[in-house]
Amino acid sequence: MRTSVIGIGLVALTVGAAAQAVGQGLTFDARRIGMGGLTLGRSASLVRYNPAYRAVPEAADRRGRPRVTIPIPLGIIQFLHDHPHLSTDPAFHPDSAGFNPILAVNTLLNLPIYLEVKKAPTPTNDVLFRIGKNELRVNLGAAAQLVPEDQFGFGGSSRVLDPGLAIKGVRVSVLGWLHYDLGMQLGDTLLAFLRDSVPAKDSTGYSVLGSGIAEGGFAPTISYAGRIAGDSSTGLYLGGALHYYLGVAYARSNVTAGFRTDSVIFGGTNPATPFGSGLTSYSKPGNAFGHGVGGDVGIAWISGPIELGIGVNDIGATLTWSDTRQDSVFYRDTSFSKPVANHVSTTTKLPVSYIANVTYTVGKTTLGADVLNTGRGATVHVGGEQRLGLIAVRGGVARDQRKRIEFGFGGGVRLGALGLDVGFWTHTNSLSNERGVTMATSFSIY
Amino acid sequence: MRAKWLWMTWLAGLAAACGEGQAIFKVDVYSFLKGTGDDTIPYFVQPGPPDSASSTPRRIDLPGAGSSIVDSVLVNGKVNFENQAGTGTIGLQLYLDSTAAGTLNSSALALTVPDANVSGNAPTPDTIIGRLSSNVISLLAGKQVWIRFKAKGSNSGLVLLQGNAVLKGLRLTVVMNDKFF
Repeated sequence: MRTSVIGIGLVALTVGAAAQAVGQGLTFDARRIGMGGLTLGRSASLVRYNPAYRAVPEAADRRGRPRVTIPIPLGIIQFLHDHPHLSTDPAFHPDSAGFNPILAVNTLLNLPIYLEVKKAPTPTNDVLFRIGKNELRVNLGAAAQLVPEDQFGFGGSSRVLDPGLAIKGVRVSVLGWLHYDLGMQLGDTLLAFLRDSVPAKDSTGYSVLGSGIAEGGFAPTISYAGRIAGDSSTGLYLGGALHYYLGVAYARSNVTAGFRTDSVIFGGTNPATPFGSGLTSYSKPGNAFGHGVGGDVGIAWISGPIELGIGVNDIGATLTWSDTRQDSVFYRDTSFSKPVANHVSTTTKLPVSYIANVTYTVGKTTLGADVLNTGRGATVHVGGEQRLGLIAVRGGVARDQRKRIEFGFGGGVRLGALGLDVGFWTHTNSLSNERGVTMATSFSIY
Repeated sequence: MRAKWLWMTWLAGLAAACGEGQAIFKVDVYSFLKGTGDDTIPYFVQPGPPDSASSTPRRIDLPGAGSSIVDSVLVNGKVNFENQAGTGTIGLQLYLDSTAAGTLNSSALALTVPDANVSGNAPTPDTIIGRLSSNVISLLAGKQVWIRFKAKGSNSGLVLLQGNAVLKGLRLTVVMNDKFF
């Protein structure tokens, strides 16, 4: 079976770009987009990653967070206008000669929620293939720069629901937690073949290394958040939480997959033979729970116009799973797996996440910055808002998980309890090295 | 077996979909023929009407490009007419088809190299250059193509015209223009 030389490459491109998109996060607030992704005020991220913020009163939040933000999805209108018959549009159907994989991938990476005012141009170069009896070489030209050199992927941890009781800053709760992570890295030979146009060698393996984990469970938690000094206008807040993690299920896989070229690449009818192998470990629901202990700490300082905070989550959160099954998996013509061990003990580790934030308000000007790391690299947002009567002007800069700089700017008008905001944000989510520009619009109810 | 060529479709997609760029395949046909004996076509032409001799059809394996549209195919190469005796003209014809037997059909004619004058016991180098017939170029998007050479000649002398047409190089440049955007 002829295998996907560039199929693997395209998957790599797609997942790499997807990781970038996920890293930048989906944002439905035009105010936030206008500030390069920065949130001024009490955002979900602050409360999630800094337990001290549970004690910071809303009164300390001077930025006027809207009660409700309603996105205006102009991008959907644009998309449906461009593709009125989506179910039959050949560009999205792999069976069609008009199938456009790049358009499909770019649509996935840039969900058409907001208006794309400048599409990121795809490279416009020729791509050259050299084919001989024992020769295969690909020159992707400028498109080769889209092939990721380093490991790429996406992941993080999230917390779902956290019902509990609180008395005088002490809270007892049970939170649900999830952790997922998917990473891929092109092997040296495949990377050189795709990116550096190195000729394929006969009898040589070209592979992608992949790893993934997904786990979830719940955690009885006792936490504390309170002001330890000062008053409501100037105060120091401290928070902490101790979790006893109970893992319900997990699965982890490390796989090497790719293809091996024939002894003479085009000497027969099968120039490349696919292969795959790896180790999968899992503990299904119903097996013994995974057990582990971890904690969160956070501190926030409010002093007049200045607000500072630092929070760290899931410190030391290593779970031990006592009833794990391990299978080795293979692919050669057909896939099969073989048990390696059962009822063995394995461990997993939740990523340490952190956030640091600062805001400064003077008059009608608010400036802020935050650094957020959910386990796969830090994102940085710096921005501000200037109010001029009914009008607000905003701007910001962000650095995403792949260390690319993006820019945001925008504005809004607020009439009493209603606001209309517009924000522009550059992005490099597409299969392109150049930035596109998205225009977001949203209503806010204060 | 759609999956067999799917990767090449995606590759061509990646290639051609990169804006208005084209996917260009440079296929070294000679590398498939060299050392097999099929790169040499012996010819024997009696005085009188023109005659021809043919090589055995040879399969060329390609990655396959699915339903991609082949825009054009340029051919360039070299051939030596290593004449051993007689005087006349020798030319070369290239046939392509998806099957070995199909290369024997006249409709499979892809390229005709103009006749060259040959005489005595001396090699005559010639250049192969041109565009493949539009009738056959879509075959280059397939996973394999069969190729056959035919040497045709005329004898203007009184003794047997004989020698070998020896291929020294043959490369196809296949330009694909997919309408992905």
